[in-house]
Amino acid sequence: MRIGGHIFMALAALVLALPIVVVCGAALNGGRSMFFPPRDPTLARFGEFFVSEPVWTNALANSIIVAFGAATLAVLIAWPVAYLLWSSGSKLSKALAGLGSLPFAVPPIVIGVGLGFFWAFTGGLGHVWSGVISHAILLMALPLVTISIGLQSIDRSHLDAAATMGATEQIAFRTVVLPQTIPYTISGFFFVLVLSFNEFIVIFFVSASSYATVTLQIFNSLRNGYTPTMAVAAITFLVVSILVFAAVARWGDLPRLMGADQSKN
Amino acid sequence: MTDLILSGVSKMFGNTRAVEPTDLTFAKGQLTALLGPSGCGKTTLLRMIAGLENPTRCQIKLGDDDISDLPAHKRKFGMVFQSFALFPHYTVRENVAYSLIIEGLSKQTALEKAESLLANVQLNGFGDRGVGELSGGQRQRVASARALAQEPQVFLLDEPMSALDAKLREDMQVELRLLQQRLGITTIVVTHDQREAMTMADTIVVMSNGRVEQVAPPQEIYHRPTNAFVADFIGKANFFDGLYRSGGVMIGSQALEAPANFAPDSPVRLAIRPESACLATEPGQNRIPAVVGFVRDLGPVREYHLTTDIGPIIVEYAAGSGEQKLTAGDKTLVHLPAEALRIYPRTAA
Amino acid sequence: MTVTHDTDVAADSPVKATPGLTRKGALYGVLSALMVVFCVVPFILVIVISFGRKVEGAAWVWGFTFENYQRFFVGTLWPDEVTFLYLQQLGYSFYFAIIASVLAVLTALPFTLLLTRLKRSTQAVWLVIILSSLSMSEVFIVMGWDILLSNNSGLPKLFQVTGATQWLKDVGWFQTLRDIGLANPRNVKFKPSEFATILTMSYLVWPYAVILLYPALSRLDPSLSEAARTMGASRWTVTRTVTLPSIRLPLMGTTLLLFVFLLGSYVTISVFATPDKQTTAVAIYSNIRGSNLNAPFGSAQAVILLISASVCLYFGHLLNRKAEAR
Repeated sequence: MRIGGHIFMALAALVLALPIVVVCGAALNGGRSMFFPPRDPTLARFGEFFVSEPVWTNALANSIIVAFGAATLAVLIAWPVAYLLWSSGSKLSKALAGLGSLPFAVPPIVIGVGLGFFWAFTGGLGHVWSGVISHAILLMALPLVTISIGLQSIDRSHLDAAATMGATEQIAFRTVVLPQTIPYTISGFFFVLVLSFNEFIVIFFVSASSYATVTLQIFNSLRNGYTPTMAVAAITFLVVSILVFAAVARWGDLPRLMGADQSKN
Repeated sequence: MTDLILSGVSKMFGNTRAVEPTDLTFAKGQLTALLGPSGCGKTTLLRMIAGLENPTRCQIKLGDDDISDLPAHKRKFGMVFQSFALFPHYTVRENVAYSLIIEGLSKQTALEKAESLLANVQLNGFGDRGVGELSGGQRQRVASARALAQEPQVFLLDEPMSALDAKLREDMQVELRLLQQRLGITTIVVTHDQREAMTMADTIVVMSNGRVEQVAPPQEIYHRPTNAFVADFIGKANFFDGLYRSGGVMIGSQALEAPANFAPDSPVRLAIRPESACLATEPGQNRIPAVVGFVRDLGPVREYHLTTDIGPIIVEYAAGSGEQKLTAGDKTLVHLPAEALRIYPRTAA
Repeated sequence: MTVTHDTDVAADSPVKATPGLTRKGALYGVLSALMVVFCVVPFILVIVISFGRKVEGAAWVWGFTFENYQRFFVGTLWPDEVTFLYLQQLGYSFYFAIIASVLAVLTALPFTLLLTRLKRSTQAVWLVIILSSLSMSEVFIVMGWDILLSNNSGLPKLFQVTGATQWLKDVGWFQTLRDIGLANPRNVKFKPSEFATILTMSYLVWPYAVILLYPALSRLDPSLSEAARTMGASRWTVTRTVTLPSIRLPLMGTTLLLFVFLLGSYVTISVFATPDKQTTAVAIYSNIRGSNLNAPFGSAQAVILLISASVCLYFGHLLNRKAEAR
C-alpha cells in the first residue's frame, strides 16, 4: 500500500479518536465543568460513578440489566427465525424475518413512540422488564443478520452426512449446526449488548421517567450541561468494548465474522 | 516481435525466497510453458513478467528495451487469469473491447473490432451476452480474445485450463496452441499439468522450489531429464537407490550395468521409464527375477506391477505388443536395458 | 434403527404424524403471534393515535380526525393562514440526513477499500478499533464535539491562540466565514451551525458505513483489477471502470440505510442546529414527552416520518431488483 493510503488511514483514525479522547480526558476534571485539557486532574469522578453516587450506580445497574436481558432475549428470538429462514425459506419465515427487522429499519424515534403507547396500555410503562423487551424488539435484527451469515456458511453436506448416520433434525441441529455457529451467535449477542448500552431514545419513551439507564441519565442531564462524571461512563463503555472485541478477535476470526471472504489473505 | 529476456530475476516474500535469481530467454513467436508443482514459483515469475509483482531484483528486456521499471499498465502484456477475471458488469463484447477503449479508440470502433475478435475464437453472436451466461470453455475464449485485443507483444496465461473439466481441457489445449501459432505471438503458459505442457509448448521450463531445473523442448525433457526431480515430474519413472561401482550400480546385492561417470561408492539414484523396461524369459545381464503383483489393463496400455529384490517396478506395454500375458502371482524376469537407465547423484535426503 | 426420545412422545401424543413436527409448528405459531404483537402493534398504535384529538391539559382521546395531518401540511388555521413550519422541519430532517450520510459513505469508501487490502491480522486490529468506537453513544459523541467546537476551550480557541484567526482575517476569508454563519466579529464560531450538525451526524454514522461496506469490498476479486491493469488501465481508470461499478449496489444500500437512521437523529440536532433549522424528530419529542405534550400530533409527525423513510427504503428495494435483473 502506498504512502498516501497509509496517511489517509492514519488521518481517519485521528479524527475518529479526537472526540473520544476529549471526552475521556474530561473525565479527569477536578471541578464540575468539562474542560479539555482537564483542570485539576483527579480520579475522584470514577469513585462517584461506580460507588458513591446512587444516581449513577442505579443507572449503571439498570443499563446492565437491560443490556444483558435484551441481548439474551434478542438472540433467543432471532435463532428460530433465522433457522426457519435458512432451513425452509418459506413465505412464513421470510415474513417473520421481515417483521423482526422492521423496528430496526426505521428511525428509532418512531418505534420508541409506538412502544411508549404500547406499554402504557399493557401496563409495562416505567418498568425495567418492559425496557428489556423493548430493546430486544428494537435490536433483534442484529443477531438475525449475524446468525443468518453463520448459517449460510454451514456446508449442507455436513447435514447430509449426519442424516446418513442416523441424526434427526433436532440432533443434527444440536450437534452440527449449533456448534458451528457459536461465533456468530456470540457476535450477535455482543452487538445487541453494545447498542443497548448506547440506546436512549426508546428507553426514554418506555421508561417514562421512573428509571434511568446510564445513557438516558446523561441525556436527561443535557439541559443542565455535562459533568465529568458522565465522561467516566464513556470511558467505561469504551474500555469494555475494546476488551470484548479484542477477545473476539483473539479467539475468533473477526474479519470473517464481519463478512469477509475466508479464502483471502 | 522480439525476444523477452530475463536476467537475474528473483523474488523474496519476507524471508522466503519464492524465485531464485533466474536468467531466461523467451524466444519470439514461441510458446514456453512454465511447469512445476504448486508453490514452485512459476506463477510468481509470470506475474513479475506481467508487472503485477515487483521483483526483488531483476532486469527484464523486450529486445533491446529495458522494461524492468515499467508498471503493468504500460507493459500491456495480454494476460489470461486462472479465474478468467471477466468483468461481470460488462457484456462479452464490452469485455473484449475494454483495452481498445482505454487506448482511446471510439466506442463504436472498439466494439466493432471486438466483434471480429470474437469471431476469431468462434464466438460470433455472443457479444451481447452477460458473463454469467457463458460456459467454462466460452469464458476462456472470451478471456483470450480480450487479452489479445490490444495486440500485445507477449501473451501470458496463468493456469488457463484449471477451471475447465478434464475432457474440455484437452480440446482447449489444442485450440489454444493453434491460435497461438496462427498469430505467431510470444506466449508463456503457467501450468502444473505436464500433459498440457507437452501438448502446447515449444520449450518447457521445469521449476521446483523457486529454481529452474531444466529448460528444453518437450521430447528432450521427457527422454533426457537432467535430474531426478524432472524425471519424476514428467511422465512416470521407476526409481532405485544404490551405490555406483565402476560401470554399474549396486542396489543391495544386485548389480546392474549402467555406464556413467561417478566416483566409486557415490550414492546414486537410477531411473527407468516403464515403457523402456520389459519382461524376459531368459536370464542375462540386467535381468532380475520378479513376481507379478497386479496387472492394470487400461485399454491402450497394459501395466505390470512387479515386486523384485531391488524394489517395486512397473513395466508398460502398448496394446497389441503381443507380449506374454501374465497374471498376478506369476514369476518372471524383468529386463532393465543399460542404455535406458538414467543415473543421477543422490543427496543425503 | 434410530431410537430417540421422540418415540416416547409418540406414544403419548394423539397425533399420528411426526410429533416433532407439531411441536415445531406450535413453537412457530407462538413465535409468529409474539412477533406480530411486538413488532406490528406499536406501529399500529402510533397510526391510530395520530387520528386522535388532544384535549385540555396533557391528555387526548380516541377519535377519527384528520386535523393533525392537516396541521402538519398547512397549519391549524388553514385556509385563513398557512404555515409550512412542519413541512419545513421534515425538509430539514431530509437535508441534514442526506448530506451527512453521503459524506460519511464517501469518506468511508476509500478507507474501507484500503482496509480490505491489509493483512488479515492488521484488519482485525482496525476492526476492533472501529467496533469499539460504536460504543460511543450519540450523547458521548455530541459531548465530545461540543467540547471540541466550543468557543472557550475548543478549536475556536485553538484558532485564536495559534494565530489562524488573524491569518484568516488578513487573507480575507474571515468575512466569507461570517457570511455563512461560521464566525462572530471576533473569532470563528463553529457551533451552533449547519456545519457542526452535519459534521457530527456524519461522524456518528461513519463506523457503521465502514462495517456495512466491509463485506462487499473484501469480496472484491483482485484479479479483476489486475486484468484491467494488464490491458493498459492506470490505477484511477481501474477504480473508475472496474471497482466502482461492481460496488454500486452496496454503496447505495449503505447510504440509504444510514440516511434512514439519521432521519431520527435527535441529540445532535438539538445541540448543534440553530433554532430555525429544527427537524421533525425534535418536534416529535417535544410533542410526546417534551414541552408541548400533544400526543396525537406527535404521532402524526411520527407517521409522516415513518412513511417518508419507508418510501425511501422502497425505492432502494426497487433499484436493487432492477440491478439484479440486469
